[in-house]
Amino acid sequence: MSIQSKWIARSGAALFALALLYPFTALLARIGPWQWGADVRGPALSSVRVSLVLTGCAMLVIVAVGTPVAAYIARCSTRERLWWQAILLVPILLPPLALGILLTLAFGPYGSVGAALEHLGIRMTNTPAAFIMTQVYVGMGYYVLGAVAAFDAVPVILQKQAALLGLPPVKVFLRITLPLSRLGLAVALSIAWVRAIGEFGAVVVTAYYPSGMPVQLWVNLQSFGLPAVMPLLVVFLTVALPLPWLVHVLAQRKRHA
Amino acid sequence: MLKAHIIKKRRELQVNVSLELEAGAALGLFGASGAGKSTVLACIAGIEEPDDGYVQLNGLQLFPPSLLLHRRPLGYLTQEPGLFPHLSVGENITFGISKELASTAGQQQWIATLRDRLQLAPLWNAPASLISGGQARRVSLARMLARRPALVLLDEPFAGLDRQLVRELIDDLVLWAQTIGFSMIAVDHQAEVLKRLCPQKAIVLEQGTIVQRGSWSELYKAPATPLLESLLAPL
Repeated sequence: MSIQSKWIARSGAALFALALLYPFTALLARIGPWQWGADVRGPALSSVRVSLVLTGCAMLVIVAVGTPVAAYIARCSTRERLWWQAILLVPILLPPLALGILLTLAFGPYGSVGAALEHLGIRMTNTPAAFIMTQVYVGMGYYVLGAVAAFDAVPVILQKQAALLGLPPVKVFLRITLPLSRLGLAVALSIAWVRAIGEFGAVVVTAYYPSGMPVQLWVNLQSFGLPAVMPLLVVFLTVALPLPWLVHVLAQRKRHA
Repeated sequence: MLKAHIIKKRRELQVNVSLELEAGAALGLFGASGAGKSTVLACIAGIEEPDDGYVQLNGLQLFPPSLLLHRRPLGYLTQEPGLFPHLSVGENITFGISKELASTAGQQQWIATLRDRLQLAPLWNAPASLISGGQARRVSLARMLARRPALVLLDEPFAGLDRQLVRELIDDLVLWAQTIGFSMIAVDHQAEVLKRLCPQKAIVLEQGTIVQRGSWSELYKAPATPLLESLLAPL
């Protein structure tokens, strides 16, 4: 690529970035002084804590359950795999609000599972458990589909060679498949994280309390107006962005190693 | 001893081959490209599953039912080295060796022999993803032999290498086949490679079936088909 065409391409990419980031110029909009008094700060910081801790828990569940499921799907026949992929797409395709309503009905006191859980003392509406459950449903499809693609990228012959060298299937997975797919898995996890931590529509139905950051943004908007939304928005970007960005930094490093 | 009867349907042909190999013996599978040689080898290795037939190695039933790959006491080498790119050369070579075995003096001596003979010492700590094609073949050979398999399956492992390196690798393999005592089946479409590797016996495949068995001198003296005669003719 010549220097001229490289600059043309770079300018095009810069224009694209400007268009993508344009909405964030609204942070400079004249809406009056931002509010960050105690009445805003306390709930805001609490929502940050709720979002980070509970989304972290949801990611643990997603990785623990989703990884073996993805490993299974990656080894399925094409026909069977298409069925699994269709199932995984359902919660992704559903409008979040509709998913929240369905989750509340299914896991609330009137659903059979919800009733059984409530009998055991586990309430699945407006609790940390409800928050985690919703985020698991929201993020699982993204993670599993990404993880399947990551496992697909590992050459089958390497796994077979490892087996012929005496490793049983579990060890082949741990010593070959997992290390060779780890960057793809990390990217899948980062997408699930981004999707889950920013989730509003489903969470606002299932877990208005404890309020995570997206719900708190809504509460601030309703209670105090835009001046109380902007600082929380900055906090949200500051705490939610580093993890997925770090994953991409690592992926980039690996590519250039 | 290896006893095998491989029946495997392919789109364009049906492979139907039976063979026997004494312990410690070497057998060359010869034929034109697409004759079914690699399919036979892959079915014995377990990389592919035969449609029918059987495979027994030293009394161990490999098929049917299909024995899990990690329970098969054999090594399988193709022209694709298949090194694990996230590991070093040394880690690749010692990959399949348990800690207990690795700690024994005999095994350490064997690994040192492989390392020195195949000139891998300078590469030992290098990432496997960064070595050359010829070096990768040497590493994959060392990795396969490190476990002292009872049967070695070679599917054109020297394709694309320079003649000097091919000669060296073949001589090493023949020597180690005698010292370790493994059986060997090699596939190639170059008669001179197979003759050097498996000088005693050869089987010729055409369209998935055996058209001739015997020594190389018999094959050269009375080739069973015009195609074989043409394959054996000098360029």
